[in-house]
Amino acid sequence: MTSRSIMLEYVARSAYWLMLLASVWILLRGHNAPGGGFIAGLMAVAATALLAIVYDVDSARRRLPLQPLQLAVAGVLLALISGIPGVWDDNAFLTHQWWGIEVGNNVFKLSTVIIFDVGVFAAVWGAFATYLFALLDTQGEVT
Amino acid sequence: MSHADARVGATNRDMLWLALIPSGLFIGLVWALSAIALPWQLQLDWVPSLGVGLDWYIDALSAQFLVLITGIGTMVFIYASGYMAHDANAGRFFLLLLLFMTAMVGVVSADHLLVLFLFWELTSLISFFLVGFKHTDEQARASARQALFITLGGGLALLAAFILLAQITGTWSLQAIVASGPELIEDPRLPAVLMLLFIGCFTKSAQFPFHFWLPNAMSAPTPASAYLHSATMVKLGIYLLARFDPAFNELLLWEVSLIGIGTITAVWAALLALRERDLKRILARSTVSALGTLVLLIGLPNEEAALAVIAFLFAHALYKAPLFFVAGNIDHATGTRSIDHLMGLRRQMPFTMVAAILASLSMAGLPLSFGYVAKDVVTTAKSGTDLLQIVSYGLLFVNSIAVAVAAVAAIRVFWGPANPAFARVREVSWRMLLPPLLIAIVGLEFELMPAFTDPLLVDAARVIAPAADIGDLSADHSIATFVTVAEVLVIGLVLFLFWEQLHRYLAGLARLDHYGCAALFERLLAGLTRVAAWHTKTLQHGNLSGYMRLTLVVLLLFGLGAWLAGDVDGSGLWASSWPAYEQGWALLAATVLISAGALAAPFVYGRLALLMVIGLVGYGSAVLFLFAGAPDVAFTQFMVETVLVVVAAAVLPHYGAPSRYPEPRLLNAAVAVAAGIATFILLAHMFSVPSDRSLAEWFATNSLPEAHGRNVVNVILVDFRALDTFGEIAVVAFSALAAWPLLRTMRKRRRTS
Repeated sequence: MTSRSIMLEYVARSAYWLMLLASVWILLRGHNAPGGGFIAGLMAVAATALLAIVYDVDSARRRLPLQPLQLAVAGVLLALISGIPGVWDDNAFLTHQWWGIEVGNNVFKLSTVIIFDVGVFAAVWGAFATYLFALLDTQGEVT
Repeated sequence: MSHADARVGATNRDMLWLALIPSGLFIGLVWALSAIALPWQLQLDWVPSLGVGLDWYIDALSAQFLVLITGIGTMVFIYASGYMAHDANAGRFFLLLLLFMTAMVGVVSADHLLVLFLFWELTSLISFFLVGFKHTDEQARASARQALFITLGGGLALLAAFILLAQITGTWSLQAIVASGPELIEDPRLPAVLMLLFIGCFTKSAQFPFHFWLPNAMSAPTPASAYLHSATMVKLGIYLLARFDPAFNELLLWEVSLIGIGTITAVWAALLALRERDLKRILARSTVSALGTLVLLIGLPNEEAALAVIAFLFAHALYKAPLFFVAGNIDHATGTRSIDHLMGLRRQMPFTMVAAILASLSMAGLPLSFGYVAKDVVTTAKSGTDLLQIVSYGLLFVNSIAVAVAAVAAIRVFWGPANPAFARVREVSWRMLLPPLLIAIVGLEFELMPAFTDPLLVDAARVIAPAADIGDLSADHSIATFVTVAEVLVIGLVLFLFWEQLHRYLAGLARLDHYGCAALFERLLAGLTRVAAWHTKTLQHGNLSGYMRLTLVVLLLFGLGAWLAGDVDGSGLWASSWPAYEQGWALLAATVLISAGALAAPFVYGRLALLMVIGLVGYGSAVLFLFAGAPDVAFTQFMVETVLVVVAAAVLPHYGAPSRYPEPRLLNAAVAVAAGIATFILLAHMFSVPSDRSLAEWFATNSLPEAHGRNVVNVILVDFRALDTFGEIAVVAFSALAAWPLLRTMRKRRRTS
């Protein structure tokens, strides 16, 4: 970028983490309230886009957990893995399993559903980040 | 490969031991034939859910082919170990030969039509690889492509015929289908079946008008030509026609087609043989001629013809394979196959000459050879029917040409003055001498010692003509047969003496090169690429708004067509009660947003402004979803719209000037308005149809108890329809994977520009 906006850069740094936090919250609440892996993934993409536009593609790429394409493929693999326990249980592929863990008076419900949804989240985030970076990378080099 | 090349660089591993495989099969087969009574059957499961089983059925006809495949295969392997000894790709060649042998065994043993088809296409595919074996030669590549198109294309026709047959008879078993003859003949679909079957068999067996691929296939190494394009693969069409002959023999269509096409092929190919100068191509033309004769014989309605088919097929394999080996030896030793240069080789290549003479005796049908026996039964078969005179004369001509070709291979090449260019030519190794000598001697021997083959061949003939009273296969040494043979011999030798004059006349007919079947086929292919180029230029022009326009117009036309055809009931359109929503004001506001964006879009020129205006439509839709009871969809819509607008706004300014295509603005407006109206009608219509709520209710009731989630949309996505979602994220990830390299090249181009 030829021009910098100090204010925007300052805001973007904290906004990035806030947006990611929000996306994780949306991801986790998704089963019972509006939200879920797909929406959360788009939220994360928006956060990455903010960084990529305000700073540059490289600093946005550095803050991803993996390289974007790896992230996308890892998401697909995670979703694939989440379906396997169902097969062990002689059910169809992707039949989700639930386990309750009692801690004091509360029962924490764990299931393969959340693994699947995290997979969706990562696949969306990684794939759209790939598009985003590739598109934004074309800029700045035009002379 | 010239003689000198053959001596250098003997670094290859010796492949001779591979001949143990076909020879082992051959010996095992001969033993089994003497020990276990035919037919042999075996059924294995393969794809039981589709009713496809590995069903094998081997009767005498199959067994006869198996004997040829393994027996000649053994000789081909021995021969190839000498012929390919100094070829760097010998390993690949032997692999292809082995695969081919497997495929051939599969075709003639399979009873299930789909299994048969599979192996059938496999033989075509391997033939393609072998014809194009010298892939650095452009001519070889073109020939390979031609052979592939014709034989695989014919294979598709065959598949269609098989499917129709299975539909008519309700079974995939070849045996059962042939047995259900009367039921087949009465079916109205029979002409279609026969046409498709003919195309399949005629392409494979190089019948007119598909005959031209076989001479061109001579680009293959000679062992492959001898094996595939003379002894075995090209006879598959004959095999299949013979299989179906008991069912269709009585049909006039069957009889007329086979006799007609067979005669045309035999005569035409015999004539074209006279135009060739290449020894291998001459032999290939005469192979096509022999195949035509075989098709004609199958078409004959009388039952003696069955024996003639079997005997001639066997005899042809036994003399044509050695002749190909001889041509290969000459090519290998002298480096040329042109009969212009080949002469007087008798001193340098005495053993090859002996093989050539022995095989030629059989080809010419002289007494004491198996060819004579074959000729005799063919003559008997012909005399048993009232053939058209023209067919008889045609056959006389074809046989005479066969004599002339035999004389070219045995006399012309080896006798006469020695060519000084070949002074240093030496005889080839024993590996390349044993196979032609052995097969040719066996060809002679069969007449003298008929004990082994006779029963097998007679049994095979009984498969083709079950009701026939077929005695045995001993030649009739009567005066009449001698006279026929002598007649053919004399005409043939006269043709041989005038070969040069005939050749000069026929080769001068340049029109044949321009309007022959091969030229027409190549023109057809060239036309195909021209059509593809035109089509790509017209439709794939790269103008996005053009694509959009075309897509919308096509969709509208389809919709209009459905409407006019009465598939869509529009009666309840206006009478329906519109659903009432509680937050009507919010929906109205959303609608205003969407309309404002849409209406502004045509009047905005800057691209950023256009982006904002379109974003307005997106956010309006999101608001609409939010208040129409779909918060998840609204949420997604908001996110997508935001990311899209932000990213596009960041990227767009860097993409140069707007497109310079002149936009047909009026047409665009018309299409847009029409599409809008059509969408409105469609939506209004949807409200008028009572929707089925059962699925929605099921999901709503079962979401919490079954899947422990209150958000039905999310539960559907991750649990009830998780496999769909999995497919979708895989598509998303793979689209990124595919787009990434494309976008990278764009970046590079921008850098360099």
